[in-house]
Amino acid sequence: MSQPDALKFHWMLPKSGEVAVGARQTAKEAVRFRVESTSSDSPAARPQMDGWLHFATRAEEAGIESVLVALNRCEPDPLIVSCALGRATTRLKFIAAYRSGLMQPATFVQQVNTLSGLIGGRIDVNIVAGSSTTEQHGYGDFLTHDERYARAEEFLAVCNAFWRRDDEVNFHGTHYRVEGGKINTPFLAPDRTRPEIYVSGHSEPSERLAYEQGTCLLRVADTPEKLQAVVARTRARGLRVCLRLGLICKPTRAEALMAAEALLPDNRDETTTQLKDDSQMYREGAATAGSTHHWLSPCLWTGLVPHYGPVWTTLLGSPDEVADAFLAYKKIGVNEFIISGWPEVDEVVTFGREVLPIVREAERRLTADAGNHSCQVAPTT
Amino acid sequence: MKTAQETNRVLTTMSSSPAALPDMDGWVKFARSAEDAGIESVLLSFSRYEPDTILIACAVGQATKTLKFIVAYRLGLMQPTTFVQQINTLSGLIGGRVALNIVAGSSAAEQRGYGDFLDHDERYARAEEFLTICRNLWNRTGDVDFAGKYCRVEGARLNTPFMAPERTFPEIYVSGHSEQAQQLALTCSSSWLRLIDTPEKLAPSVSCFRERGTEVSLRLGIICRPTHEEAVKAGRAMLPDEEIGKQERAILSGSDSQTLKQALAAADDVGWLSRNLWAGLVPYYGSSAMTLLGSPQELAEIFLEYKRIGVTQFIISGWPKLEEMVIFGRDVLPLIRKAEGATDASDQVRASESFSTSSGVT
Repeated sequence: MSQPDALKFHWMLPKSGEVAVGARQTAKEAVRFRVESTSSDSPAARPQMDGWLHFATRAEEAGIESVLVALNRCEPDPLIVSCALGRATTRLKFIAAYRSGLMQPATFVQQVNTLSGLIGGRIDVNIVAGSSTTEQHGYGDFLTHDERYARAEEFLAVCNAFWRRDDEVNFHGTHYRVEGGKINTPFLAPDRTRPEIYVSGHSEPSERLAYEQGTCLLRVADTPEKLQAVVARTRARGLRVCLRLGLICKPTRAEALMAAEALLPDNRDETTTQLKDDSQMYREGAATAGSTHHWLSPCLWTGLVPHYGPVWTTLLGSPDEVADAFLAYKKIGVNEFIISGWPEVDEVVTFGREVLPIVREAERRLTADAGNHSCQVAPTT
Repeated sequence: MKTAQETNRVLTTMSSSPAALPDMDGWVKFARSAEDAGIESVLLSFSRYEPDTILIACAVGQATKTLKFIVAYRLGLMQPTTFVQQINTLSGLIGGRVALNIVAGSSAAEQRGYGDFLDHDERYARAEEFLTICRNLWNRTGDVDFAGKYCRVEGARLNTPFMAPERTFPEIYVSGHSEQAQQLALTCSSSWLRLIDTPEKLAPSVSCFRERGTEVSLRLGIICRPTHEEAVKAGRAMLPDEEIGKQERAILSGSDSQTLKQALAAADDVGWLSRNLWAGLVPYYGSSAMTLLGSPQELAEIFLEYKRIGVTQFIISGWPKLEEMVIFGRDVLPLIRKAEGATDASDQVRASESFSTSSGVT
């Protein structure tokens, strides 16, 4: 039984075909699969249930709460994938990434609500304003970065009105207009009436969007010192904070370092981030490219960021070191993490076996200490 | 078991109706019975009163093997690229067993609740642009550029293809009786879907569609009993209470659908369009309640008569759905298949069922 404020650990759903059931895959092969997944002949485009299910089972066993299912033009649709995979699992939750501008908010709510009823409420959403102009144009969206945030805010305002189950939703904005909106299918879950709304992004508009319409701010890991201010600010507004990071956990730090080095591309000039031309987060990532110093802290490595983007920021070390790092984030107020590994299955199994028990034990001690401490305080009546 | 009255549309639209709640047990039972009955597809109806059709097809598709899903979707609810991405994803998850019923949108009020403020004619103009983009994405001949009045994409590309054993894009049914609907069906669909009428009335338009390479599918209700008299009696027993009738009438008259207006007029004017085709339930159950009734032998002969004028598919409703479908599969379909026997299987008429959340199959 975990503590009420226990850290939540989610994982990135492997791409379709990434998990080779019954075959060994090296860490480097896992990197290559992901890097090459945007090519039109990649198996990542074709839904393949057996690999996903193999991973989902391991993730459930490891104590992972949810998987993040990405949205982009190179992969299957995340709501449909969550439905198929959710029907075939029992505990795992799904955080489906979606962008505003792809569908009407009423339709999005109808789909998410339907899905909630089909998979026992195990669905949350991650709203992304859209990071690539080229990709957005292909989806029929021609707004600029800041306009996309303004629209995303209206989008979520309409969604939230439906989830509050107002009698009738009426909304007249710049980007959306709804009159007499009504969706009879409610969000169906054992303990809540709407999904968690993760809002990701590093720009000022994205932070504001999270405050106004979200329930959890999602951003890439940085050092606790650097994150402290934004985490405190976000928690003070009543939101949760979730960090995205890669993980390399090995018996010793030296082995983790070796594993990290082995992930670097043979072509040291390789980069796949040019598509994300309109993202503050990716601009920050690109700024690190010229740097030869790839450490934000002794356990936070950015060696892959210049090549593949900021979400490849990686926490690395022995189980104790990695657990300590998670607890340091907890201390400044971070609530959740979404993790990637190479290969995903191997890393999630290691995490569940080696790291999570240390984190949970420390959380138990912290709660016990806090309990003892409060007992010593005399009631002041 | 629910009576016909208990599953009518007035009750379905109430926010307390169980039709709003996904019911996997009932759906899977119905879907597997449909497979057993020799039904090819089920039509999933779209409205704000029911769960989303694409997700239902995904969930029920995983629990079935041969049944196809004709997913009804309105346009104006999502971008064409997103729609194709969802449909293609679905195809890969359920062995390609998905087709589309494109509805331009029949109720202006409901469309406004989804954020769509175009009028009837504009909705059809948009539908043509929308389906053109979809078709170009399915063709997979490179990035898609399209700049229309209602839809615009630049460099659209989806890596996930439509995946089916023998197709690279889904069958598309376009429904509606208006001039615009027929035009859209001719230019953008594999089949025009319309309400049943007498073979004489339908013959000219059916041959016109067939000459231009588009199939014709009919929607109808069915009441099959051992004798004609018993079928008529069963039909009359389905007429609902007067009060419900008034409410249903109010919903129907708020629609700007050409199909409904014609069906209601038929019900008011004549009631019986032929000895076996009855419009009596339309004012209460909607236009798809134009009903064929009779004995198995009579009904089989009538289906074959439609086949002779060029109709290739039927989408059938019954009240209650499950019982009527079982009767159809057991008593009517074998007679049709026997009569078709000499000919090639690809020449057989295709029978589908309408499938709705209010089917009362529990």
